[in-house]
Amino acid sequence: MIKALQKYKKRIDVPLLAITFFIILLGLMTLSGSNLETSHIIINQVINVFVGLIIFTILIFTNPRILFSYAPVLFLITTFLLILVHFFGVESNGAKRWLAFGVFNLQPSELMKITLPLMIAWLYQKYQNKISLGLHFIAIFLICIPVYLVLLQPDLGTSIMIALSGFLIIFLAGISWRLIISSMIITILSSPLIWINLHVYQKNRVINMLDPFVDPLGAGYHTIQSMIAIGSGGGFGKGWGEGSQTNLNFLPEANTDFIFAVYSEEFGFFGVTIIFVLFFLLIFRIFMLANNMQSTFSKLLTVSLGVSIFSAIFVNIAMISGLVPIVGLPLPFMSYGGTSMVVSLASIGIIISLNNHKTLIAN
Amino acid sequence: MDNYRFKYFFKKRIQILFVFLIILLLIPFLKIFYLQIVQFDRFTALSKNNSIKIIPIPPKRGIIFDRNNVILADNKLVHSLEIDRAFFSALPEIQLRLKDKLNIDIDIDIANKKVSYLYENTVPISFNLSDKEIARFVAHQYLFPTLTIKQRFIRDYPQGKSSAHLIGFINRINDKDINSLEKENLTNRYLGSTHIGKSGTEKFYENLIHGTPGFKEIEVDAKQNVIRTLQEKKPIPGKAINLTIDYRLQKIAEKAFDEKKGALIAINPKNSEVLAYVSQPTFNPALFTNGISHEAWANLNDKNSRAMLDRVVAGLYPPGSTLKPFVALAALKNDIRKPPFSIFDIGHFKMPKSSKVFRDWKKGGHGTVDMIKAITVSCDTFFYGLGLELGIPKLNKVLDDFNFGKKTEIDIDGEKSGLIANKAWKKKRFNESWYAGETAITAIGQGFTLVTPLQLANATAKLANPSLSIKPHLLLSIDGIQQEKQEDKVKKQSYSDINLKWVKTGMVNVTKEGGTAAFLGRKSNYQMASKTGTAQVFSLKIDEEYNEDILPDKLKDHALFITYAPAIDPEIVIAVIVENGGHGGSVAGPIAKEVLDAYLNK
Repeated sequence: MIKALQKYKKRIDVPLLAITFFIILLGLMTLSGSNLETSHIIINQVINVFVGLIIFTILIFTNPRILFSYAPVLFLITTFLLILVHFFGVESNGAKRWLAFGVFNLQPSELMKITLPLMIAWLYQKYQNKISLGLHFIAIFLICIPVYLVLLQPDLGTSIMIALSGFLIIFLAGISWRLIISSMIITILSSPLIWINLHVYQKNRVINMLDPFVDPLGAGYHTIQSMIAIGSGGGFGKGWGEGSQTNLNFLPEANTDFIFAVYSEEFGFFGVTIIFVLFFLLIFRIFMLANNMQSTFSKLLTVSLGVSIFSAIFVNIAMISGLVPIVGLPLPFMSYGGTSMVVSLASIGIIISLNNHKTLIAN
Repeated sequence: MDNYRFKYFFKKRIQILFVFLIILLLIPFLKIFYLQIVQFDRFTALSKNNSIKIIPIPPKRGIIFDRNNVILADNKLVHSLEIDRAFFSALPEIQLRLKDKLNIDIDIDIANKKVSYLYENTVPISFNLSDKEIARFVAHQYLFPTLTIKQRFIRDYPQGKSSAHLIGFINRINDKDINSLEKENLTNRYLGSTHIGKSGTEKFYENLIHGTPGFKEIEVDAKQNVIRTLQEKKPIPGKAINLTIDYRLQKIAEKAFDEKKGALIAINPKNSEVLAYVSQPTFNPALFTNGISHEAWANLNDKNSRAMLDRVVAGLYPPGSTLKPFVALAALKNDIRKPPFSIFDIGHFKMPKSSKVFRDWKKGGHGTVDMIKAITVSCDTFFYGLGLELGIPKLNKVLDDFNFGKKTEIDIDGEKSGLIANKAWKKKRFNESWYAGETAITAIGQGFTLVTPLQLANATAKLANPSLSIKPHLLLSIDGIQQEKQEDKVKKQSYSDINLKWVKTGMVNVTKEGGTAAFLGRKSNYQMASKTGTAQVFSLKIDEEYNEDILPDKLKDHALFITYAPAIDPEIVIAVIVENGGHGGSVAGPIAKEVLDAYLNK
C-alpha cells in the first residue's frame, strides 16, 4: 500500500497541485478577512475544501480506465438527475437547481460540467478512427440534452459553461474550420431569436451591463458596487479585512460570486496581478499536461476540464469587473460554496489521474 | 484518423486555443487595470460617498438678554418627532395615522408644507411632544418605521407675550428663506437648522445669534446604520446679545397700557439707547415656532387690533400738538414770533383774505399768548398764524433736522419713514395744489404729517440733548462686549440757547398749573418737560363739535405724549401714543409718568 502510494506520489504533478492549493489559500484568506459572520463561513469553507480533497484524492488513485468505461453510465445518471430537478428540484429565486437529499443539496448541473466532457471524450475515443460529420452531429446532440435541461431551470450561466466544455471537445477533435465558421454565422444570425426568448431578468442584466449607471439603485446596483470595490482598491488595496465596500455590506454576495471584488479591493492591482499569473500558470500547466498525454480520451478530457475551469474564472471576473452581465457564477477555488469547490477539485483530480496513467488506456 | 495525425492535429488546435484563452484572460485584466489604476480616484470617491456621510449639527441660538441680563429669548431642550426625508411625501397619511392611533398632532407649517427641508436627513414634524406622547409613540414605534424621536434645542420665550415686537420670533425655514440665503451665500450656515428669525431682534441680529453649525463625519453601512464617527466638529453657538432695554421699565410700561392699544418708547438722551420698547396689543412669539394655525393668524391680523403691527417703528400717526415744540423752534430760528411777541386768542383763527376759520381746541381761547404759553397751553390759534407766516419750506427744514420724515435707521426691521408733506409731494400724490389752510393745520401737527413713535422720541431726545449725535439703537453688547455707538447721519443743527430755552420752558410748564398736563406735575418729585398731543383720526366739519362720548372707539382721537426728565440734564425721553385714547395729557401722560417714576426714582 505504502509502496503503491510512493509510486503514485512520484507521478503526481506537483506544479499543478501547488498552483491549485495556492489559489485555494488566497480564497480562504480573503474569506477570513471579511468581518461578516466570518467564523462559521470560514469553518464551512474549510470543510468544503476537505470534502473536495477527499474526492480529489479518490480520483487521483482511480484508474481512468474506470472513468472511461463508466462515462456513458455517468452521463445517463446525471441527465436523469437533471430531469429529476425539473420535477422535484428545490426552488429558490425563481429557479430550480438543487435536489435535496436531507442536509445535503446536490446540484446536478455542476456534476454535468464533468460528466458531459467525459461523455464526449468517450465518444471520440471510442470512434477515433471513424471521426466524421455524423459523429460530430451525435456529439452536438448529446451536448444539447443537458444544455437544454439546465436552460429550463433556468440557469443561463451554467448551461453556457456546459455547452462550451462539450463544443470545445468537438473543436479539438478536429471539426473543420468551415463548419466552425458557418455555425458561428448561424449563431450570430439567430441572436435576435435568442434575445426574444430570454427571460426579462436576463434581458435586464444585459442592458445594465452595457451601462450599469443607467439604473444605479436597481439592476445596475450590483455591478456598480462591485466596480467601486475593485476601483477603490487601487495599486495595493485597502489592506486585508479593510475593504469598506465589503465590510459595510455595499458589495452583494461578497463571500460567493463577488469574492474576487473583495480580493481586488483589499489587495489592489498588485494582488490582482499575482492571481492572474496563477490563473495563467494553471491553464498553461493543464495544457502542457494534455499535450503530453497519449490517449485521445485523456487529451480531450483534460483540455475540456481545463477550459471549464478557465471559463468559470473568466466569466466570473468579467462579471465582477462589469464586462459581462451578472450571471451568478462562482469563482473556482475561491468562492464560498461546496459544489463549486468539489467540482473544481474533482476536475484537477481527474487531470492528475489521467496524467498518472498516460499509457493506461490503450489506443 | 490515426493516432499520430491526431496528435499533430491536437497540438495545433490547443496552441490556437491557448493563445485565444490568454488573450481572453487579458481583457478582464486590462479592465481591472483601468478600474484600479486609471480610475482609482473616481472609484475612491464613489466608495467614500457610499460609506461616509456628513451630518450637520445645528448651533444653539444666542440668548437675548435685556441690559440687566434678564432673559428675553432662550433655548430649551425638546424631543422632536422627525420623518425620514425620503418619505416626506407620505406625510398626509402619517399625519392621519398619528392622530388616529396615538392622538399626536403634527406642526401646522409641516402640514401645510410651508417648510423647506433641504438640509436635513430627517425633517422634524413636531417639536412639542409631551412626555406622554413620547411614551405612546415609543410603544407604537413599529407602526411608524419612517419616524424617529430626536433631541433638539428650540427657542423659548420666558416673558411670554411681553416685548414680543422687540424680541420678534423665529419660524421654520421656507423656500423663500432658502432663496435669500442662497443669494447671500449663507446656506452653509443653515445646514441642519430648522428655524430662522422672522421679525424683531430675532430677525435683525439673525447673523449674530444664529451661530455656525458643526459637523459629524460618520461611516455608515449599506443599510445606513452608523458604524463609527470618523471626526466631529462642534458647532459654534450663536452670540449672546444684551439689548439696551431695561426689562423692568418695559414691564411697567406694558402694565400701564393695560388693554389699551398704542406704543411707548423710552430713550436715553445721552447715548440714544432704547430703554423701553412697547407695542400694544402684542402676541405670543412661541406661537410661530411650530407654525401658526390659520385661526390664530387671523386673530393676530384682526383689523381693529392689528397685534402683529410693531407700532413703535411702523405705526404712523399724526403727531398732533406734540409737533408744536419743533414748529416753535423752526419759527424762532427764523426770527418769527420771538417773545415777547404775543397774540390775543379769542378761540379761533381766521384765515387772511378768506372767510375760513380754524378753531382752537379751547372754546373761548387762551387770552394773551406768547410762544412759551402757546406751548404750555397748546394754543392752536397761535400756531395757525405762526405756520402761515413761516411757510412750509422753512418748517420742513427744521423737521428734517429732527429726523422727521425719514428712517432713524434703528436696528430693527420694518421701520417706516413717516411723512413730511410739501407742495411737490401733494401735487405728485393727489395732483392738487397746496392750500394755505393746509400750512396752518400742518403747524399744529395735523394735515398730512405722519410720524412714528420712535421718530417722536428720537426728535424729543435731540431737543433734550442738542449735542446728541448717536442713532437710536437696541444692541448694547455682544457676548458681553460693549458695542460702539453709531453716529447719526443727520447733520447736527445748532439752535441758539435762548431759542431752546423758550421752547423748553414752555414744555416744563406743561406739567405746571395752567399747563395741559398740570395734574402730572402735582405729584412729581422731579421736573419734567413735556408736550401733550391729541391727534384727530378724522376731520370734523367746520361747525361740528368734537364730542368724545358719542363717537365710536375707532374714530376717537389718538392721545400722544412726549416728555423728558429731569428737565435739567435729562436722563430719559419718552414718547407715548394711545390709539383712540382721547386726550393726550390725561390718557398717554400717566403711562409715561409711571415709566419716568420707575426710572428716576429707582
